[in-house]
Amino acid sequence: MSENKLNKEQLLLDLLKKKFILNESAVRRAKRVEVKVDPKEIIPVLLYAKENSRYISFAHMSCVDWIEDGEFEVVYILWNPEDKINLFVKTRISRDNGVLPNIDFIWRQANTYEREIREMFGIQFEGLVGRQEFILEDWEHMPPMRRDFDTAEFVKKTYFKRPGREDAKDVREFVQERTDEELPDFAKKYSRD
Amino acid sequence: MYNDKESQKIVDIIQNYARKHSLFILAYGTGCGAIEIPPTMTSRYDAERFGIRGSATPRQADVLLITGYLATKSLKRVIKVYEQMQDPKYVIGFGSCTINGGMYWDSYNTINVLDKYLPVDVYINGCMPRPEAVIAGFVKLQKLIQQGKADGWDIYKKNIDEYKANQKKIITNWVMPDFNF
Repeated sequence: MSENKLNKEQLLLDLLKKKFILNESAVRRAKRVEVKVDPKEIIPVLLYAKENSRYISFAHMSCVDWIEDGEFEVVYILWNPEDKINLFVKTRISRDNGVLPNIDFIWRQANTYEREIREMFGIQFEGLVGRQEFILEDWEHMPPMRRDFDTAEFVKKTYFKRPGREDAKDVREFVQERTDEELPDFAKKYSRD
Repeated sequence: MYNDKESQKIVDIIQNYARKHSLFILAYGTGCGAIEIPPTMTSRYDAERFGIRGSATPRQADVLLITGYLATKSLKRVIKVYEQMQDPKYVIGFGSCTINGGMYWDSYNTINVLDKYLPVDVYINGCMPRPEAVIAGFVKLQKLIQQGKADGWDIYKKNIDEYKANQKKIITNWVMPDFNF
């Protein structure tokens, strides 16, 4: 990839660098720019991207559970339909009682994503309107998308099992043998046995 | 045996003959298997040859098709629907998800074994079953009806306490009226 082709991406990155304090920033490849900011910088960065840099479309918002660091990473994905560039704005908050600013006054559809993340990961958003219950019904346990929620144990406890599938094997060990890669410790913890 | 006069009265044979040739399915798609129903119904496979056709409401329906995985949330609705249907009623478990959980066997919100919660008359295996398999399942159900063996609704009445206990184990906030006969 020649330097000229990444002009627009670099321009955006320079603008953001000048304006805000970025923890980490990079042009990952063509049409993809990633920046990491503090939670309190989220609203200024998103507003700036929307109003000044024409990142008018809110494509997606998702969450990653970094259990090893004790943090959640929330990713806001914006899309500029003129330059055709994706802007990834990432932020990290503490796993226990982390609070993020609510952004549904910038894009109304963010409300849906935030409610889903609130239900599936237990992250609270300041001043988020909407029922606490979103997709799950009468859920009384830990938010199910957290990595410390033991799904296999929960299924064993809650649902019936029809005999005849005991020969199902753990695929991770097979993959480990084939690729000569070490199975990480956190994966061993949640193994089937 | 098709017309077994020793085990059934002649009235039952006529009644069952009529029942098996007009199976009205409830058009309630619960999982991804519902996508196999349109080809089964339309001109390519034309299930209406067998007297199988859709109906609009639970009150008019004979057959409840559970097409695929059932989340605990939709199980609540399915039970509500099943109890509104009038006797005789039949349940067909459709796809491997209803048999042993299929690919959702370790999901936190899908049930694994359907016949613990509702009386299933016929299971159709496959992920997904092709329309041929669906029709084969219906023909099997028709045979059972003719023999007077498709009596899941009767079993449900007799073992209502057991079924209710299993259902309430999952549906913690039970807001529906209890089924009474």
